[in-house]
Amino acid sequence: MKRALHGLLLLASLPLSGCALDPPLPWEKGILARPEMSMGGDPLEQRFTEHIHASKEAAAGGSGVGGGGCGCN
Amino acid sequence: MSPAAGGAEELVARFGLMACQAEIRVAGVDADAAQAGIEAAHSELRRIEAKYSRYQSDSLVSRINAAAGSGVAVTVDEETAGLLDFAASLHQQSEGLFDISSGVLRRAWNFRAAQPPRPEQIAELLPLIGWSRVDWNRSQRRIALPQAGMEIDFGGFGKEYAADRAAAVLVAAGLHHGYVNLGGDIRLLGPRPDGRPWSFGIQHPRQAGATVAGLALGSGALATSGDYERYLEVDGRRYCHILNPRTGWPARCWQSVSVQAPLCLAAGALTTVAMLMEEAGPAFLRRQNVPFLTINERGELRREGL
Amino acid sequence: MAATKPKYPAREPRGSVLLAALALPGLLPAVAVAENAPEQAVVAYKQLYYQDSQAGLDRITVHAPSLYGLLPMGEHWSLEGSAVLDAVSGASPRYYSSVSGASHMDDLRVAGDAKLTYYRERSAYSVSLSRSQEHDYISNAAALEARFSSDDNNTTYNFGIGAARDAINPTNDVVEDETKTSLQGIAGVTRALTAHDLVQLQLSYSSGHGYFSDPYKLFDNRPRQRDQGTALLRWNHHLQAVDATLRLSYRYYADSYGIGAHTAGIEWVQALNDVLTLTPSLRYYTQSSADFYFDPPASGPFPNVPEGSYSSLDQRLSAFGALEGGAKLEWRIDSKWSADLKASYYQQRSAWRLLGEGSPGLDPFRYVSVEFGLTRRF
Repeated sequence: MKRALHGLLLLASLPLSGCALDPPLPWEKGILARPEMSMGGDPLEQRFTEHIHASKEAAAGGSGVGGGGCGCN
Repeated sequence: MSPAAGGAEELVARFGLMACQAEIRVAGVDADAAQAGIEAAHSELRRIEAKYSRYQSDSLVSRINAAAGSGVAVTVDEETAGLLDFAASLHQQSEGLFDISSGVLRRAWNFRAAQPPRPEQIAELLPLIGWSRVDWNRSQRRIALPQAGMEIDFGGFGKEYAADRAAAVLVAAGLHHGYVNLGGDIRLLGPRPDGRPWSFGIQHPRQAGATVAGLALGSGALATSGDYERYLEVDGRRYCHILNPRTGWPARCWQSVSVQAPLCLAAGALTTVAMLMEEAGPAFLRRQNVPFLTINERGELRREGL
Repeated sequence: MAATKPKYPAREPRGSVLLAALALPGLLPAVAVAENAPEQAVVAYKQLYYQDSQAGLDRITVHAPSLYGLLPMGEHWSLEGSAVLDAVSGASPRYYSSVSGASHMDDLRVAGDAKLTYYRERSAYSVSLSRSQEHDYISNAAALEARFSSDDNNTTYNFGIGAARDAINPTNDVVEDETKTSLQGIAGVTRALTAHDLVQLQLSYSSGHGYFSDPYKLFDNRPRQRDQGTALLRWNHHLQAVDATLRLSYRYYADSYGIGAHTAGIEWVQALNDVLTLTPSLRYYTQSSADFYFDPPASGPFPNVPEGSYSSLDQRLSAFGALEGGAKLEWRIDSKWSADLKASYYQQRSAWRLLGEGSPGLDPFRYVSVEFGLTRRF
């Protein structure tokens, strides 16, 4: 698992460092502020989706903390 | 000014200003706060209009022009100095095509007339044009026009500057959702309260009241220059109000050019320069790295990033 | 001519005309604050319908109405909360295999959570509580989270810790007053790469202790310690030319049961016009089996499981792959109301496992889910 995490970190750092990236200046963030660009999204939909997947698959979590368990898994 | 509630949480004010229809729309705050912000923006617009109008004889611009050829330099305030710097920079970057001393051509061009001016009329005026001859001393903030009859005006970007200033006043008043639209030159305060962009139409260059394209914007500014605002048409040839300071004749090639930029001042200046550059306009806009939309002489629309 | 020093450093991608305009004072408002407390109150209702099927098993049907509320409180605070009612009908022997005489079983789960957030200019802090209650299972959880933004607002760091405590009292009395406690931690970074790209990496770790077995399954005896780690990578990219947003995600998961899993998701948020948005989505999931999982025998008696050793026949601990496809339609009715409808189809098969063999002897498992939502803003 450790090795896989290292690989992931490496992978994630690529877009942060490589190629001709052009981080936006303050007045260029109109698109980033749109609802569909947010990482979260529809809160109830997210709760449903995570709940269903957690009850049918072994893997769970990753996007936040604070959710409790349930008898379904 | 006649504010009207457009929906419970949107406030729209429309009024005439700088010879155009002005619209301010704000959303996401209660009516009192919106009203106070709109009033502050409105008085800022009137302030700029009074200061830079060439029609008002006591305006700063009128005083500068009145002193032309007298050898007396007029000292300007910091705001005007900033605008003159911008004009100087634009003049240089457009290789002289954007020139705030080209207003003298209005003496020959009457767009209500039946005929274009005679070439001699224009030739007489060309010697009075030339920003490079203007004595602009930045450090002392003093400007002198070297020749009687020369004049400058901020008509080429005054409206766009005013839109940016009005937006800044509204944002300072805590309004973050809405836009200022001065006769088609638009500066946004921010997206709708739920984060969605506002949608704007691009004026059809040949059909009043119709649009040719729609686009969604949540921030920044949008400006359009067209050959349809003021023009005269003779024998099927259209003479529009965007005049080339080197030749004294109107720009050809584009029915309209729209540019999106963070500031309305930049967007408006870029549309004018692109119109004047004619065939070279799109390449110039690409170098300036802005999204734009053009409609050529045949009415063909082309979008690049916009 | 001498231009004044630009307010922002000259950078290649910004045109010279823009830089000249930016040199003028008073045209751009002061740099926007990173953390804005929400300005509008939101109330949302969602109704979920879920039905699964697997050869030889009864179907489970779930009807779950839920409610969400967001209340801004002044300039710096907001309160969020949600509640859901899960009505499960139709028992699956896979989950209730040792409940005598209960070919059908109805169950009800009530869950709710509340979150209080405090916003400062460059940071935000939240505290949240949640509870989930069934007749045989009660879970309580709490969490603290914090977000910090860089000076240019292009990078956000988030940190969180959480704890959950579950109480288990199965109806078959296999165990009594069992508990499960877990501690979770998360750290992440979100970065605006360009004006159209947002990427996020989040690492999380959870350490749990207590009763993890399924009391309703035979031969189910799982370790009392379970540690789980995840790495989640997300990338949102907006395509201005077609007014669409591509949302990609990948999650790596590994736990101390020996399960490794990969999840990949793709969503395409397409604006159809001013009021309609269609979002098709696809998700692939694959996992390896737990070290102590054993395949159900094709025929004959169950193998002998030595007393006290770990074992499970639970399909969720087997090796498999799963595909899910869905589509969501959102309709913004006006500035206050919006509605959405989402449908998904999910299928799990051992043959779809990536990077290895799937567990043998398992029938494909499928479900469909439909969600209908209504949102009102104030």
